[in-house]
Amino acid sequence: MTRWAMAVSVAMTLGAQAISIAQAAPEFSGMWRLNQSKSSRAIVGNTPDIQFASQLEVKQSATDISIVATSIRQQPVSAVYKLDGSKVNVQAPEGITETGEAKLDGTTLVITSRRSFSSPAGDIVVDFKEVWSRSGNELTVEKTRTQSGDSSTQKAVYDKL
Amino acid sequence: MRVILASVSVGILLATLSLQAHHSFSATYDGNKPITLRGKIVKLGWQNPHAHLYVDVTNADGKVVTWEVESAGPTTLMKQGLRKEDFVGQEVVIKGFLAKDGTPTVNASSFTLVEAKKEFVNDEKAP
Repeated sequence: MTRWAMAVSVAMTLGAQAISIAQAAPEFSGMWRLNQSKSSRAIVGNTPDIQFASQLEVKQSATDISIVATSIRQQPVSAVYKLDGSKVNVQAPEGITETGEAKLDGTTLVITSRRSFSSPAGDIVVDFKEVWSRSGNELTVEKTRTQSGDSSTQKAVYDKL
Repeated sequence: MRVILASVSVGILLATLSLQAHHSFSATYDGNKPITLRGKIVKLGWQNPHAHLYVDVTNADGKVVTWEVESAGPTTLMKQGLRKEDFVGQEVVIKGFLAKDGTPTVNASSFTLVEAKKEFVNDEKAP
């Protein structure tokens, strides 16, 4: 092998490693608390558009991500998602049935779910899509709710505890 | 002395009523149960701290249910150009959250008067 060929080979190896590091799976593990001042205005308080959890407890492994979402005076919602995108049951409060799936997409985590429950207006079905991204000790969750053909999107920012 | 006692009693009573009326969202409504309703406004409660719309909604089985819809207060609604005469008889689409007690009661985050084609938000800080 010529010196030139060796140099090219080394450069390609280093380049591949750099790309690999840059595209490493994002890590979301930790306790995260909602930062209202950095979030959309219409997500908490007495007139939320889309409800976000006050706190998220996240445990991530190479294959799973466990999420427990809690809010003041609201029943917690939790799930252990497989990161291969397979469908799982979400542990929702009594009276709610929910399934969802999660998948890493580059530097983001995408969770989609379908929630159903009964009401005096009949059976209700709501679809959610959450896109998670992390920057240092800040977690941004963009949530879209689709119901009766109408969609709404809001953003929440969480600080790592 | 009796006058003072009577005044204090009335004050406590009014404060209690005010607190009952101005409850927190999380105590009364289920943030995990968003709902969209479409129906006709049949009655309006135009008082602080919240206006209440009473809306007839027809279910899929044809049954009509009257929903109580908690909205923002009159001041917030008036800032968005609404008057109390603008409601009764109007068709409305409501986005909000179900009450925890299972009754046909909802906290509206927004509503749209169909004829006016305008959405009104219930954010108390809305312009």
